[in-house]
Amino acid sequence: MSEQLALLPGYLTAHLQLSLPALVIAALISIPLGILVTRRRGLEPGVVGTASVIQTIPSLALLAIMVPVLAALGTVTEAAFGIPLRGIGFAPAFVALTLYGLLPILRNTVTGVEGVDPALVEAARGVGMTPREQLRRVELPLAMPVIVAGLRTAGVWVIGTATLSTPVGATSLGNFIFSGLQTRNFDAVLVGCVAAALLALTLDQLIRALESGIRERRRGRVRLAGGALAALLLFTGASFFDDGGAGDRRPVTIGSKAFTEQYVLSEILAQQIAARTGLPTEAVQSLGSTVAFEALRNGDLDLYVDYSGTIWATLMERSDLPETRGAVLEAVKGFLGDAHGITVVGALGFENTYALGMRADRARERGIARISDLSRHAPALEIGGDYEFFQRTEWRALADRYGLPFRHQRTMDPALMYQAVAEGEVDVISAYSTDGRIAAYDLVLLEDDQGVIPPYDAIVLARPGLARERPEVLAALRPLVGAIDAGAMQRMNLAVDGAGEAPGAVAQRFLAALKTNPSPAGEPPTPGR
Amino acid sequence: MIELENLSKRYGDVTAVDALDLRVERGELVVLLGGSGCGKTTTLKMINRLVEPSAGTVRIDGEDTRTLPAPQLRRRIGYAFQQIGLFPHLDVSENVAITPRLLGWPEDRVRERVDALLRLVELEPAAMRNRWPTELSGGQQQRVGLARALAAEPEVVLLDEPFGAVDPITRDRLQRWFRAVRHELGLTSVFVTHDMAEALLLGDRIAVLDAGRLLQVGRPEELLLRPAHEKVAELMATPRRQAEAVDALLGRTEPS
Repeated sequence: MSEQLALLPGYLTAHLQLSLPALVIAALISIPLGILVTRRRGLEPGVVGTASVIQTIPSLALLAIMVPVLAALGTVTEAAFGIPLRGIGFAPAFVALTLYGLLPILRNTVTGVEGVDPALVEAARGVGMTPREQLRRVELPLAMPVIVAGLRTAGVWVIGTATLSTPVGATSLGNFIFSGLQTRNFDAVLVGCVAAALLALTLDQLIRALESGIRERRRGRVRLAGGALAALLLFTGASFFDDGGAGDRRPVTIGSKAFTEQYVLSEILAQQIAARTGLPTEAVQSLGSTVAFEALRNGDLDLYVDYSGTIWATLMERSDLPETRGAVLEAVKGFLGDAHGITVVGALGFENTYALGMRADRARERGIARISDLSRHAPALEIGGDYEFFQRTEWRALADRYGLPFRHQRTMDPALMYQAVAEGEVDVISAYSTDGRIAAYDLVLLEDDQGVIPPYDAIVLARPGLARERPEVLAALRPLVGAIDAGAMQRMNLAVDGAGEAPGAVAQRFLAALKTNPSPAGEPPTPGR
Repeated sequence: MIELENLSKRYGDVTAVDALDLRVERGELVVLLGGSGCGKTTTLKMINRLVEPSAGTVRIDGEDTRTLPAPQLRRRIGYAFQQIGLFPHLDVSENVAITPRLLGWPEDRVRERVDALLRLVELEPAAMRNRWPTELSGGQQQRVGLARALAAEPEVVLLDEPFGAVDPITRDRLQRWFRAVRHELGLTSVFVTHDMAEALLLGDRIAVLDAGRLLQVGRPEELLLRPAHEKVAELMATPRRQAEAVDALLGRTEPS
């Protein structure tokens, strides 16, 4: 828990950096727009309709859409003004959150201004106010409680939705939640949820107190709430200029997808680069799978680890299989270099492939060691797979080649899948071959004796141009090539998932062992177990 | 002096006010009298251009009201609303001070003026200044509304049934008070009402409107004695009929 709390200031600041400016900009756009709509009624369907449509886009999808949109915009702004916009990280999350905050404020501004008693508007004209004075002295003050209610709704939404910006590479309190769910660290999830909820509540109450204080002319309350809000804004604003003194050298940015192995590997890469080159590094964690690749391709990420089979199947769209692991690797290298200019630094030495797993004792009882052995037992058995497994080409290939007429197919969350097979709820699961939980739950992986599943070599990818601009980074990573075998990776994953260690600590221990016993070492000691 | 010349207001095919001519002398109070929908409020609002005329001219002291921007025109004319229309987010002193502040009066003059006006409408400044409109009785709200109309020392005041929303006893007091005050200040006023008794009591002259047309203008006794129109005669007969009915009621209930 204290480990998680140590991360809190950083994540909280990042969360504020995302959500407060988004809320302020949303208000600066939608309050004037709302007022304009009340003056020119013809605009209302278009303006409010557009904002409503934005609101109906699921927030996670809106965030994801912003990645390619901003990457495309970035090339335009770079050409026009020399300012590149990054497609991942702060920019897409900020834009999406701003869009998300528009509707409640806009709608309440329109409702509030239109709800002002017409007799009072006429009285305002009658005493000699110009239209501008009517708005400023009568309509806006009377509409203010309704407008502020919209602002408060938007504030709660924006702070809540900001936790979803982790997969597009923006740090927020969501990092606790995403990594916590993946590494089964529920302290982290708890810290993230509670902090986000408290932040939303605090902001909501401060805005409410400020509004009611102004309306009821309670000077003390206005000072207190206004002061607290101003301090929050000032702190957020100032934090943008506090870069930790990294200077103008852009840190080496290392991405990771949202599962334990990826967190550990990104830490290993980051620590190795920092140790060998002294360059600052930045980890962008819990990225969506396609977001990571897109970000590397357009240069927002410098490095991340992907798997040869993923590129083979999803990017190259190949369903055939070459004879050897090496042939796939070579084909993938050629494809990434030719089509995208991406450098494959090297294979780390292990595969993390889809594999069918069973409880060791059950497999022994039935005499099942290979997938071929499974086919005659299948009608009596139940299989569990993760969200995508039964849609993937691997599963279709397995079913075609081996003939696996299972009694029942069940789609479930990976975290529950392992537990389900261990407790006998299902008989077979789509396991990940390096998952630490295979050893923890005493499972065995069945041999793909007909060679249907493509090899999933873990490979380090470098963005186009990195080899030329920072050759020392690639050189620093060379010792890692072939240095991690499947057993080592499994143990490291288990240290995080099972023993609750931090990915960074596990990575550090691995690198220390690698130094004393260079390649092909990869056998980190696992004290305490 | 207010002159309405050939003044008309049309909404589509409906003529709300039809070619009205009327002249209100300096210091005079003319009542616009008529049933609902007769065009009296529309006529009043055309004087300070809350409603823009479709045709015709309004002149104040000989000057066409269209020569000024409407907000500036309205700052020179006091206006008391039927719904009072005090601003609920402003306290009593701020409501009264609106027009002087729009005119850019210095703050001390505004403060003095507010206190003087509150005293004029018989409200104690120290006790009332910082009250919210919602904390006032109906009669007090009416007084604040009148103070607001008079705040910028206008020579012309327009009143749209200003005593309509209060109880009869308060109304009676306010009417008598207003009669005294408007003479004291020498106001040139146009006063809209549908209440015959109020018209007779307050008006120097009464203009009777029906369906947007002016039926007759004259001093109360002229209208009573020489109605120019059947409807005017009928209207003038109502207070007497009511008085007779009250008399009869009293006669019947008196112990014999």
